[in-house]
Amino acid sequence: MKGLFCRLLVALIFFSFLLNSCSEKQDFDQFEDLSITPTLASGIFYLESDEATINAAGDVGVFYAQTVNFDAFNEEFVAERLLEGTIHYELENTTSKRLGITIEFLDENGNVLDVESFTVEPNMPEVFTRDVFYGPGGKSIDILVTTSSLRISGGNLSDSTSVSSTSDPKVKLSSGAEFLFRLK
Amino acid sequence: MRKGIRLIFVIWFGMHALCAQNKQLLYDFNEIPQSLMLNPGVKTSEKWHVGIPVLSGLSFQAGTSGVTVNDLFADDGIDFTTKVRERVLDAMTRKDDFSSTSQIEGFYVGFRGRNRPDDYYSFGMYGETDIIVYWPKDLALLAFEGNGGDNIGRSFDLGDLSLRGEMVNVFHFGVNRKISNDLTVGARAKLYSSVFQFQSIHNAGSFRTSPGQNNVYVSSMVADMQLQTAGVKGFYDILDEDTSTTTKDLTRLFTKRVLLGGNLGLGFDAGFSYNLNPQTTITASVLDVGFIYNSKDIQNYTLRGNASTEGITVFLPEDINDVNNDLWQELVDDIEESLPYEENSSGYISLRPVKVYGSIRYDFGEGDGRSLENCGCGVNMERGGGMSGIYRNSVGGQLFLMKRPRGIQPALTGFYQKRLGRTLSLKTTYTVDKYSWTNIGLGLNLQAGPVNFYVLGDNLLSYRNVADSHYASLQFGFNIISWNDN
Repeated sequence: MKGLFCRLLVALIFFSFLLNSCSEKQDFDQFEDLSITPTLASGIFYLESDEATINAAGDVGVFYAQTVNFDAFNEEFVAERLLEGTIHYELENTTSKRLGITIEFLDENGNVLDVESFTVEPNMPEVFTRDVFYGPGGKSIDILVTTSSLRISGGNLSDSTSVSSTSDPKVKLSSGAEFLFRLK
Repeated sequence: MRKGIRLIFVIWFGMHALCAQNKQLLYDFNEIPQSLMLNPGVKTSEKWHVGIPVLSGLSFQAGTSGVTVNDLFADDGIDFTTKVRERVLDAMTRKDDFSSTSQIEGFYVGFRGRNRPDDYYSFGMYGETDIIVYWPKDLALLAFEGNGGDNIGRSFDLGDLSLRGEMVNVFHFGVNRKISNDLTVGARAKLYSSVFQFQSIHNAGSFRTSPGQNNVYVSSMVADMQLQTAGVKGFYDILDEDTSTTTKDLTRLFTKRVLLGGNLGLGFDAGFSYNLNPQTTITASVLDVGFIYNSKDIQNYTLRGNASTEGITVFLPEDINDVNNDLWQELVDDIEESLPYEENSSGYISLRPVKVYGSIRYDFGEGDGRSLENCGCGVNMERGGGMSGIYRNSVGGQLFLMKRPRGIQPALTGFYQKRLGRTLSLKTTYTVDKYSWTNIGLGLNLQAGPVNFYVLGDNLLSYRNVADSHYASLQFGFNIISWNDN
C-alpha cells in the first residue's frame, strides 16, 4: 500500500511538473510595430554618344531626343511604399563640345513634373556628379510616383566641326537611384 | 490584411515553440508498445496489445535553433524592430531552422504468433506531419535592408531558401523476432499515402548589385530555383472557391488522400537488440527508408536563368534609329526572357526523412522477482534473456541521426531508467542537439492492470518559460496490454 502510494506520488509530481509550465508575458501586438524599410538601388538610364554623332547633328543641334516610358516609379507596389529617394547623376565629357543635357519627368498625360538640366563643359577633367533628393526636405516624392515617362534630350552648344584630341572622345550620362521603401 | 500577416507570424512562431523527430524518451522504453515503432527489433514481452484508437500515440514536437517566441514577443519594452534586427537578422544563420513534427496514431495492434511465439506481429496506421524551414538569411536581409546602401557589392545567396514539408498517412506491418536469448531483430513495411508534400531544397543562385561598367549600378541575378508541390493545389482550389460546401469538400479530399487516394509510396524500418552480456544491450534501428512518388495534383514553380541590367541604355550612334519609346517595357521583357518564371506539373519523387537510432544500455540492480510474478511475461522475459525488466535500473546512451535537406542532424542522449515494480517505470534523458544543450526529458509509463498509459515530456527546464524554449515535445498515449492468456 505504501509502495503504491509512493508511485502515485511520483506520477503526481511528474504531471504537476508538466502541467505547471509557465510563460513570461508575451505581447504579440508588438508585431504591429515592426518596421521594414529596405533601400533599393538600381541603374536608371545611361546615354553615351561619340563626338562624330554630335557633330553630325550640326551647329547648336540636338543630337539625341527621346521620350521613353518609365513606369518603374508609378507601379502600384512602388508608389504606395516609396518613402524617399536619391537619384545620382554622373556626367563625363571628353569631347570638344559644350553640351546641354536635359531630363524631364513627365506624367501619364505628358505634363512636365520636373526637369533636371546639365550643362557640361568640353574636355571635362573630372566626372561631374549631382545627387537629387526626393522626400522630406527635398523635392516632392510625388514627382517620382507620378512619373510615367522620361524625356531625354542632348544638345550641342558648340560648333559641329571641332574634334577632341583625346582618344575616343565621348559624352556619358549615367544615372542610378537609391530608394527607401516601407514594406511594413 | 495586417491581422492576417500577424496571425501567420504568431502561428509560425507559436507552432515552432512546441518541438524535431527525435523521440529519445520513447526509444528502447520497451515497456511501451510504441517503442516498437522506433525499433522493430526491440525486445517485446507482450502477448498482445491494442492501442486505444487515436489516443494510443500522440506526439507533438517543434524546434527552433535560432530565435524563440520569447526573444521577440516578451513584453520587455524593447523596440520590436530592434529585437528582430539583433536577435533574428544579426544572430541567425542559414543553418538555423524551424521545424515541427506531429504524429497521431489511428490504430495500432500487436500480437504474438500462435505457432511462432518468438514472433511478435504489429500493424497499424498513423498520420504524420513534418515541416522544416531553414532560415533564409540572405533573402531576409535583402527584404529588410535592400540591395542599396552598404549592401552595394554584396552577393545575396538565393540558395538560402530551403524548406520541406509533408503530411502523410502511414499503413504499416511489422515482424519482431527473437532469434536467440541474445538477439532480437525486426522489420516493418510501410505504405505511405500522401496528403500533401512540398519541397524547395536544391536552390542555387545569387543576386548582386554593384557599380556598373557603364551605368551607376548593375544588378545581376543567377537563379536555379524550384518549388515542388504535390497535393497542395487541390486544397488551395477548394479554399479559393469558398463555397458553402468548402468544409465538406476539404474533408472529402482529406479523407480520400488519407485512404490511399493520393500519391503513394513505400518504405521500411529495420532494427535489432543484442545482448553483449546479461546486463549490457546494444540496439540500433533505421526508420523510414522510403519514398513517395508524387504524380497527382502536381504544381511546380521554377525560376531558372541569368540576367543582368544597368537600366535603360542608349549608345550612339548604334541606337540612333531606335525610336522605340517603350524601352522600359523592353528591359522588363528582356529580363523575364532571360530569367523565366515557369510552372509545370511534372511528377517527382520525394524521399522520406530517414532516421537512425543506436543505443547501449547497462542494466543493474536486480529486482526481487515479484515484479514478474503475475505478468506471465512473454518469451523474451525469462531471466538470462537479458530482459531489463528484471533489473530495477538502466543507464546508457543513445545516438540519433536524421537526414535533413542540409545534411545529417545528430542528437546525443544519456539516459537513466528506473523501474518501480511492474506498474511504474520512469526514464529521464539528457539530450544535446542543435536545438538545445539543456534538454532534460522525463518519461513515465504506468501499467494499471491491462491499461497502459505513458507520457513523455522533453526539455523540461524550458517549462519555466515555454515561450523561451528552443525545443519542446510531448508524447502520450493509452494502450491495452496482455501478457498472458487470461
